[in-house]
Amino acid sequence: MSDLNLVKTKINYGVVWVLAKRELLSFWRSKSRVISSIAQAILFLFVFGAFPLSNIVMNEIIVSTRAFIASGISAMVILFTGIFGGMAVFRDKMFGFMKELMVAPVSRRTLMLGRTIGIALQTMIQVVIIIILGVIIGYYGYEDPFLVFRIMIIVPVAFLASLGVVGIGLTVSTRLNDMQSFGLIQTFIVMPMMWLSGAIAPLPPLILMFNPFSYCVDLFRFVLIGVSNFPPLLDLTVMIVFGAIFIIIGARSFNKMEVS
Amino acid sequence: MTENENIIEVKNMTKIYEEGNTLAVDDISFSIRKGEVLALLGPNGAGKTTTISILATLLNGTKGKCLVNGYDVKKEPDKVRKSIGIVFQEPSLDTDMKAKENLELHAILYGMPKKYRRTKIEEVLKLVDLDDRAEVYVKNYSGGMKRRLEIARGLIHEPKVLFLDEPTLGLDPQTRRKIWDKIKELNQGEMKMTILITTHYMDEADELANRICIMDHGKIIAMDTSKNLKKKLSGDVIDITFEATEERLKFPEMIKKIKEVPGVKNISFSSVSTQQDMMPPLQLPKGMANIDPAMIQARIRDIISNPKKLITAWKNIPMTVGMFLNAPLDMKKRIANMFDEKLLEEVPDAIKQVIIKIRKGEHEEEDNGFEPTISISCESGGQQLPLIIEKINNEGFSIKNVSMHQPTLEDVFLHYVGNQIREETSSQAKNVKEMIQMRQLRK
Ligand SMILES: Nc1ncnc2c1ncn2[C@@H]1O[C@H](COP(=O)(O)OP(=O)(O)OP(=O)(O)O)[C@@H](O)[C@H]1O
Ligand SMILES: [Mg+2]
Repeated sequence: MSDLNLVKTKINYGVVWVLAKRELLSFWRSKSRVISSIAQAILFLFVFGAFPLSNIVMNEIIVSTRAFIASGISAMVILFTGIFGGMAVFRDKMFGFMKELMVAPVSRRTLMLGRTIGIALQTMIQVVIIIILGVIIGYYGYEDPFLVFRIMIIVPVAFLASLGVVGIGLTVSTRLNDMQSFGLIQTFIVMPMMWLSGAIAPLPPLILMFNPFSYCVDLFRFVLIGVSNFPPLLDLTVMIVFGAIFIIIGARSFNKMEVS
Repeated sequence: MTENENIIEVKNMTKIYEEGNTLAVDDISFSIRKGEVLALLGPNGAGKTTTISILATLLNGTKGKCLVNGYDVKKEPDKVRKSIGIVFQEPSLDTDMKAKENLELHAILYGMPKKYRRTKIEEVLKLVDLDDRAEVYVKNYSGGMKRRLEIARGLIHEPKVLFLDEPTLGLDPQTRRKIWDKIKELNQGEMKMTILITTHYMDEADELANRICIMDHGKIIAMDTSKNLKKKLSGDVIDITFEATEERLKFPEMIKKIKEVPGVKNISFSSVSTQQDMMPPLQLPKGMANIDPAMIQARIRDIISNPKKLITAWKNIPMTVGMFLNAPLDMKKRIANMFDEKLLEEVPDAIKQVIIKIRKGEHEEEDNGFEPTISISCESGGQQLPLIIEKINNEGFSIKNVSMHQPTLEDVFLHYVGNQIREETSSQAKNVKEMIQMRQLRK
């Protein structure tokens, strides 16, 4: 038993899964977090969906306002849960548990990956809940025969999209050292990304193209209601490239982190 | 030659915390043999935790080379991590998980096979008496229970080197004994685990450690077996308690006289008031926690050197009257001498009377609990004691109690680090970087 057979620099997938499970478990156990995030989305759904039923024209296609809003809000959930989920690292740092993880004989990449996947899964579940709620309320309309199919496709898309967003959260929280900075993140990262993404109101592509998150919103819309500002393949590419960049930056700062 | 027997090898380890500009570990070198238990002792802030953190790859040393189990801490941190286990001084549990889940996660992180995992977890839970509370969330644990769980966790995976940073802090005596037994078992059983333990309990160090390392201000100031350290302090230790006295200022002189007795090696003096200005220790009310005590002391010092300000304070802040009445006699005398007849008119009655009494020399001999104690280490108590007592009598002090004993580890510790309470004053926060640069320049 003395020689624990672990290959260190590689990724230990067993541990990745256990860490991801821990994330999901804590999500499941803190009911207040689940409820508040869903309640927030419902609030958005009702507030923005209550506008007069005029239609929005996107790429010369007429879209119902409600479907537009509902798809945007489901993408928005990714931003919120992803970034703040990534900040759970910060909580572990505060309460000392990070030290336990950091001295463990698994690579930092393993730790990082476990975290990221856990939060991404958790985000994905929330997104699906919101979409189903939107369907029940009737925002997507019932005449689309492919709706079930669309929801099935959105699941992997949501997972992919949240990976990058979690990367942002991780990057930020490994560098944060005090609680106060949370407000700053909210004001300077989350809010601009949300308002300038076209999730809630249509914006000209000239603005959208500078916000990486708007490609995610765009792809969501394409999958859910079949219209988009940019070609979906571009959306997907941008999303993957940005996701990879943020994950790499996150992993970097995770690697360099000192805990004491 | 003995190189391969040393499982930990530290050369010139140095750590400067940029934040706070502290030189926490100052160029230390030492080694630990395979299968050894080394106790790291030292006052608060000596650098013990920092040393362990560097060895455990949690912190990057500023300078120096450390090998753990043959691997360089900086170059092969992953391999080092595989060889070690650690119980942190500060909490490191996931309080949102159940106790058992914490242990399970640990076991998985350390790659233990499933079957072995279960028996091992049960074993350590039993060891710390938490087996019936395994399914409770850690956030609902008491402080001591959390501590016990942390120790249990550190013992699960049976590493080659175990770091224990004040493991038994805050534990009840029964649990402490049990932990000790376990530590001995790990060290002496077939595992032959090497253990580096820090503690403030001398009995713990004495009981467990093969060798003792005493650190202070980031430096190693002594390192040897407990027996040898005591032997270096050979002979006896004589503790003398004096009757309460107001002649505190004469103490240093008396100590100097005692040091002249042949065979006396070292004297440590334990009393609160060796400082020049006899400031009584300042107890701040709770709500005032945000104010720097040093600032308040400076302010008070300013006030008590100025009779006018004192009068204003006494008149307006009732607390200060109490402070005066409870002050040590020397201080009262000094203050009393500052007032002439005219100034005295303005002093509040309660204080006026005391001052008048003091100036007439009529003050009653008061016993404010000040019983200075000195601790003398000498070659042979039987021979030196009469001489010492003679010296004391010559100086006019009266002895209340004398006791003599073989040196304990505590005597050794106090001998090396002195016995003033450590406070990190601003004078200590000199510019460390400059200091180091200077040193390098000189080379
Ligand atoms: N994270 C940190 N940032 C800045 N300074 C630090 C940090 N941690 C410790 N120090 C400083 O380094 C010095 C050594 O601290 P360390 O924690 O190693 O002491 P210690 O011997 O473990 O003390 P204790 O017995 O109180 O645990 C102290 O002066 C402390 O103020
Ligand atoms: Mg410490």
